[in-house]
Amino acid sequence: MKQALTRQRRLIVLSTFLATCHQAGEAAVPFLIGVIIDRAVDGGVGDLFLWLGVLGAIYIGLSYSFRYGARTGERASEQAAHDLRLQVTRRVLHDRGGAETGRLPGALVSIATSDTARVGAVAVAIVYGTAAVIAVIFSAVLLLSISIPLGLLVLLGLPPLMWLTRLIGKPLEARSETEQEHGAHASGIAADLVAGLRVVKGLRAEEAAVERYRVRSRTALTATVRAARAETAYQGIVIVVSGLFLAVIAVVGGILAVRGDITVGQLISSVGLAQFLVGPLSTFGWVGADLAQGRASAKRVAAVLSADEAVAGGEQTPVTPVRGAIELRVREIAVKLAPGEIVGVVATDPAEATEIVRLLNRSFDPADGTVSLDGVALSSLRPEELRAAVLAVEHHTDLFDGTVRSAVALDRAGPATVDAAMAAADADEVARNLPAGLDSVLGDGARTLSGGQRQRIALARALAADAPVLVLHDPTTAVDAVTEARIAQRVRAMREGRTTVLITTSPALLAVTDRVVMLHEGAVVADGTHGELAAGDETYRETVLA
Amino acid sequence: MTTTLLPIAAGARTRAALLVFLRPDRGRLAGAVVLLIAGTIAGLLAPPLLGRIVDLASGAGTTGEFVLTGVALVAVALVDAALAGLGIALLAQVGESTLARIRERFVESALRLPLEQVERAGAGDLTSRVTNDVAVVAEAARSALPEFTRAILTIVLTLGGMAVLDWRFLLAALVAVPVQAYTVRWYARRAVPLYAKQRVAVAAQQQHLLATIDGASTIRTFRIAGDHSGRVATRSQQAVDLLLRGVALQTRFYARLHVAEFAGLAAVLATGFFLVRGDAVSIGTATAAALYFHGLFNPINTALALVDDAQAAASGLDRLVGVADLAVPPRAVLPTTDSPAAVEVTGLSFGYEADRPVLHDVSLSVRRGERVAVVGSTGAGKTSLAKVIAGVHEPTAGTVDVPAGEVALITQEVHVFAGPLADDLRLARPGATEDEVRAALAAVDALGWASQLPEGLNTEVGAGGHALTAAQAQQLAFARLILADPPVAILDEATAEAGSAGARLLERVAAAALEGRTAVIVAHRLTQAVTADRVVVLDRGRIVQIGPHETLVAEPGPYATLWQAWSGQRDQKA
Repeated sequence: MKQALTRQRRLIVLSTFLATCHQAGEAAVPFLIGVIIDRAVDGGVGDLFLWLGVLGAIYIGLSYSFRYGARTGERASEQAAHDLRLQVTRRVLHDRGGAETGRLPGALVSIATSDTARVGAVAVAIVYGTAAVIAVIFSAVLLLSISIPLGLLVLLGLPPLMWLTRLIGKPLEARSETEQEHGAHASGIAADLVAGLRVVKGLRAEEAAVERYRVRSRTALTATVRAARAETAYQGIVIVVSGLFLAVIAVVGGILAVRGDITVGQLISSVGLAQFLVGPLSTFGWVGADLAQGRASAKRVAAVLSADEAVAGGEQTPVTPVRGAIELRVREIAVKLAPGEIVGVVATDPAEATEIVRLLNRSFDPADGTVSLDGVALSSLRPEELRAAVLAVEHHTDLFDGTVRSAVALDRAGPATVDAAMAAADADEVARNLPAGLDSVLGDGARTLSGGQRQRIALARALAADAPVLVLHDPTTAVDAVTEARIAQRVRAMREGRTTVLITTSPALLAVTDRVVMLHEGAVVADGTHGELAAGDETYRETVLA
Repeated sequence: MTTTLLPIAAGARTRAALLVFLRPDRGRLAGAVVLLIAGTIAGLLAPPLLGRIVDLASGAGTTGEFVLTGVALVAVALVDAALAGLGIALLAQVGESTLARIRERFVESALRLPLEQVERAGAGDLTSRVTNDVAVVAEAARSALPEFTRAILTIVLTLGGMAVLDWRFLLAALVAVPVQAYTVRWYARRAVPLYAKQRVAVAAQQQHLLATIDGASTIRTFRIAGDHSGRVATRSQQAVDLLLRGVALQTRFYARLHVAEFAGLAAVLATGFFLVRGDAVSIGTATAAALYFHGLFNPINTALALVDDAQAAASGLDRLVGVADLAVPPRAVLPTTDSPAAVEVTGLSFGYEADRPVLHDVSLSVRRGERVAVVGSTGAGKTSLAKVIAGVHEPTAGTVDVPAGEVALITQEVHVFAGPLADDLRLARPGATEDEVRAALAAVDALGWASQLPEGLNTEVGAGGHALTAAQAQQLAFARLILADPPVAILDEATAEAGSAGARLLERVAAAALEGRTAVIVAHRLTQAVTADRVVVLDRGRIVQIGPHETLVAEPGPYATLWQAWSGQRDQKA
């Protein structure tokens, strides 16, 4: 939190200065009211206009300082929130991962939007909090100029009162934290149900889902009502404290006036100032609450920013040019790929297949074993550089907003490569059926496309990256058999001479590989060409051809 | 592709809906208002008491009199705090419960919405409403509503108090009103379109962030984090710029209000000046009037400033009510007939866009208990046929007769709901016993791994919980099907996303889950066609072949070609 706000230091200082001028102006207004009423007793009409003129001048000053003070303060707040939002996004997208562990995507979004905004709002709280402190001091000086005992009363009376309100505000912090968590959880659940809408509808389980949300919503309601009560109690205490304070000033001032120590006008000024002080005092209330909320939010933001990396360590870069020799030794599994080989990997356990892709793109490091590229362990390579050399695409892969062309080219691949990749993945046919071809815009994860169409565009994207080593996990499961056979041939042609791993049990894809490695029950049980294995290995036939 | 956002309610409709949502809390609301009025009146006794101190000071008040008035001041503050505090707490409770009712109703409607409509709007639209708009409205209910109520009460009652002191003070105070009225109109004209833009920008930012965070793994794999952070930065900056423009507008709004304050205050002071000189009022009364008017600044600013919170909340509410209020038509209930057909499709045509039909004149009759596989190349319309039969989409021509409430659709998209595993399954049958849940899991070969999860069936799964493989997620989908127990099941390549190794396991699982049901299976793995009673071959939206596998394989045609590509003739270079 500190760091985000330090960056906005200049804006905050400027804004605080202006806000202070504004508060000073506001403090001067009740003072002038006293002066003017005083003139009613013993001044002339000329005096009235003179002092009304002064009042006007003060108004101009306070109005402008408020105007620019508020603008700079809000700018600081928004800018700080914006910076944090980007930091959170970068942390989530960081090549070493780890920020998503244990957090719902909805909750992460809520951290990136609401929590960062609350931390930013601390800038505004600081500005107005500081301005309020200075306003209190300024009023005290005015009061001291009227009467020393009155001024002292304010100066000595206020700090304990402020401390008291602060003390009472503390429990609110804890309440506010749980309340926010409940709120975030309820909206996380709602977002999750919305994400699973198709499943819910397919089962006609709408009512069950509604009921489930209602229960969560009720829990959240109980928490927020409790928090609201705590806040109200707090505000009530602020009203009582400021009323007490006002009464003391008025009574003491009245007695001083009767004794002739101060004029009646000065008494009015004092009462006006004391009443004005209620403003800054209640400012401390919301500043306290905002700081509390900001702190609770900052904790969540910081937890994301400092989340443990999923893959720590490894600063080397792969040796270039990448030859593409891969060696994988994990537990009982040992697989070796020569540079340029096109190899099929058949895993009877789907979890094992997923594990291998994730090992090869270094989403995590093996607990027991090593994976290496050209003789260098992946765990000693920087993930970003590794992924430039070894592109290992998981089966579930997302498409993003943008045109088909940009989704495939990713601002890297040239038009010729894009065209070749589109053709190889049979995605050119998908593009032809879209209204604007390659320039059609895919909205919201390309949901309007069928599963097969999405898969083909995703495959084109993987091919267009032209990586030295390409690992594909079941890239064509939603594509029909005839198309799949065509794609297999073209992928082979496009990847000729570069290491390619096809993790699949699709016979169409396996048929184009140089050799196939089969994993079963945690070990390599067969190694040979697709033809050989299809002819001679019973498990293989069962897994691939059944 | 164009997106059509979900409906947004118009103001009048929102107000009417709000009243309905408020109804259960009517009593509390009335109580809250009464308490607030009483509290505010107590608070307004302070300025006359201060005026009395001034009068005592200008006369010759005794210390006792001063202290007595001081005690009265404290008492007034106590009464104010107690009554207003209770009132605000009550009001917040009314606000929160009403909000809870609205959001529950919203989720209810959202879940009942036709899928078509949600997809056209983009899932982000719903998500942004359920998170952002709910938050904005909650904020309004929590703080703006009580503050606003209290401010309005203070203003009205203070003006009354000034009239009681002397009617001329009220007249003087009203000098400020034209300026304020003009300012509010000036502001509303500019603020409404600006806030509308702001909300759109914030919603776009949210949707984009959600897509980015959901796709983090893909983004890492393709090393496009820089690009995506850049896009997030752009959207966020757009939203920030619009917010700051809003702040600039607000400060200009306040500058105009300062003019009103000055005009009114100068008028009240001048009035007091001349009334005191003319001995019409005491100096204490003039003081009370000035303090009253000075005390109005904050509530007036609060009330007028909350106009934009209220506007933001109102537009949030419009978006919530827009969905909450949708009269989602119940699916046409068809009488269950004794006809031997479980699914009767006649002359069906369908297209997502009017000029691009994807299904032409499809007729198909599925007997009870029959298993029909639908095959064809990608884009032939298989998924569309499945969705229309399942009632997700309405046919553009022709009819689909499926006994109402008897059909479930399992698609290739799997979703594991966040929360305990058993809760996920109970979505399909809320009352399912532990044994039923276990039996369903056992039927889909999932009981083994499910029991071995860290906390067994109570393990948190889904986003943020224990990660399941695609095949496991698909097994859960079938377990849900068993629990939901519909007579007719439509499987739309339900085994596809799991990957090919999982597909075989899932085919076995699917067979178990379909036991005793009528099934229409959209298949791309032809093994499913072999075991089906009949195969329907779709090509460009038309049925081109229909019959048992053995018959179709034997006759030359698209199915035979497909079968060749599938079954082992892979050594031929295609």
